[in-house]
Amino acid sequence: MTNKPSIFWQKNPALAWREIDDATVIISPTDSVMHELNDTGSFLWKNIDGRRSAAELAGLLAESYEVAPDVALTDTQALLDEMSTRKLVVPIPATGGDLR
Amino acid sequence: MTTSAAVGATPVMDRLISRTVRKHQPLSVHFDLTYRCNERCVHCYLDHDDHGELSTAECLAVLEELAQAGTLFLTFSGGEIFLRPDLYEILSEARRLHFDISLKTNALLVTPERAKRLREFGVRRVQISVYSDIPEVHDAITKVPGSLQRTLAAIPLLLEQGLQVKLACPLMRENLLAYRGVMALAEKIGVPYVLDLTITPMLDGNEGPLAHRIPVSSLLPVMQDSKLNACATRPTAEAPLAMKEYPATLGSAVSSGIESEAYEDLPCSAGHNSCYISPYGDVFPCVQLPQAAGNLRRKRFNEIWHHAPQLERLRGVRESQLPVCSRCEIRNYCERCPGLALMEGGDLLGAYERACELAEQKARLAGVTEPISALHKQQAANSAPATIANDFASVIAASGSN
Repeated sequence: MTNKPSIFWQKNPALAWREIDDATVIISPTDSVMHELNDTGSFLWKNIDGRRSAAELAGLLAESYEVAPDVALTDTQALLDEMSTRKLVVPIPATGGDLR
Repeated sequence: MTTSAAVGATPVMDRLISRTVRKHQPLSVHFDLTYRCNERCVHCYLDHDDHGELSTAECLAVLEELAQAGTLFLTFSGGEIFLRPDLYEILSEARRLHFDISLKTNALLVTPERAKRLREFGVRRVQISVYSDIPEVHDAITKVPGSLQRTLAAIPLLLEQGLQVKLACPLMRENLLAYRGVMALAEKIGVPYVLDLTITPMLDGNEGPLAHRIPVSSLLPVMQDSKLNACATRPTAEAPLAMKEYPATLGSAVSSGIESEAYEDLPCSAGHNSCYISPYGDVFPCVQLPQAAGNLRRKRFNEIWHHAPQLERLRGVRESQLPVCSRCEIRNYCERCPGLALMEGGDLLGAYERACELAEQKARLAGVTEPISALHKQQAANSAPATIANDFASVIAASGSN
């Protein structure tokens, strides 16, 4: 049995950002803080689209970077927590199941 | 996985600049939406007519192309941007495309509602021109009675919305003595400021605005002002700490003021990772470098940016290879601008009088004994043989008369 995710993640729509080489630079207009994501952070950022859960994002990470699913999930969750604390991403209620 | 820092001269910004200079990615773009203005500043380098501004659809298309090209920092300026009836539409698109948005304005048309809309559209910074804290001085420059009062009234409206406000004060003959007042005003309001000594010819080459430029000899009070630290040397690879401390209070109201080691041997960012777009779609390396590289009504931005010969030539310029300036002993005191070198000296690669005079004055104030720029050395050397010849001729003439 597959549990339906209860939370999807989306980028904070207020942010300015660009992908530059393997990094992503994000600027928050409210506090003028500049954030830099490394390549794996950028990979996740690219795939955070308001339609994927942490598990789904971890699945993509595991596939692309050839890491164990449990490691990918731990890393993904940690990054989402960090980005959420910095208000770079916001959780939204999942309205459906697996949308991929 | 993340590194965070305030926007400014930080390692994150250094890496960003380094990457974009290496890739020739147009990180920062200054886009004038109109040259029309509701002020008539005596020193302005623009005419105030509409010679065929980009339409709304054309502006939106330009933004799309800039986003694809990788632009992050986007500054909308003019003229007065609030005279564009489609400003909100343009800002809305800029926000949708995730630009970091700054505005330059005289703020005369800012209302509480407009300030709120700017915040909603994700504008981060607003730079406002203030020429003095004395209404008579400011208004005489803008030629609009009551303009200082209206401009200052807008600042709290913008701050209340959480927008960053910066005052920009071009210094000229008319307001030289008022610079301390602008500093005090900015400090009282609690916003940063920049005093700019640059007065340029008009874009069509008309030198009228130069009549308002302050002679270097009269700039001593400003250059000696300990608060402005005007005599600091430019950052060098050998002095990275000085780079971080480089003052932003006396500089250019045009540039970001962000220094980086990535620009080390480049004259500036123009054409490397920044450019200017006129209201008519002309792409220039910089607003102060009037060499159009192409027009966006005829070519795509990427085609102009990556293939225009003017930009390719500019990218080949290195300060260490400049014919005169590279051997200048006081170059660390110099703020040479390639655009002004072209406009004032006629040579993008050359030295020009104003920069040399300012560098010598700065060096002198910093304690350098008898500083002389390479240009002035060269001029002295060129005139020396003539003097000797004249002296010799005088001696001969004197001998003959005996």
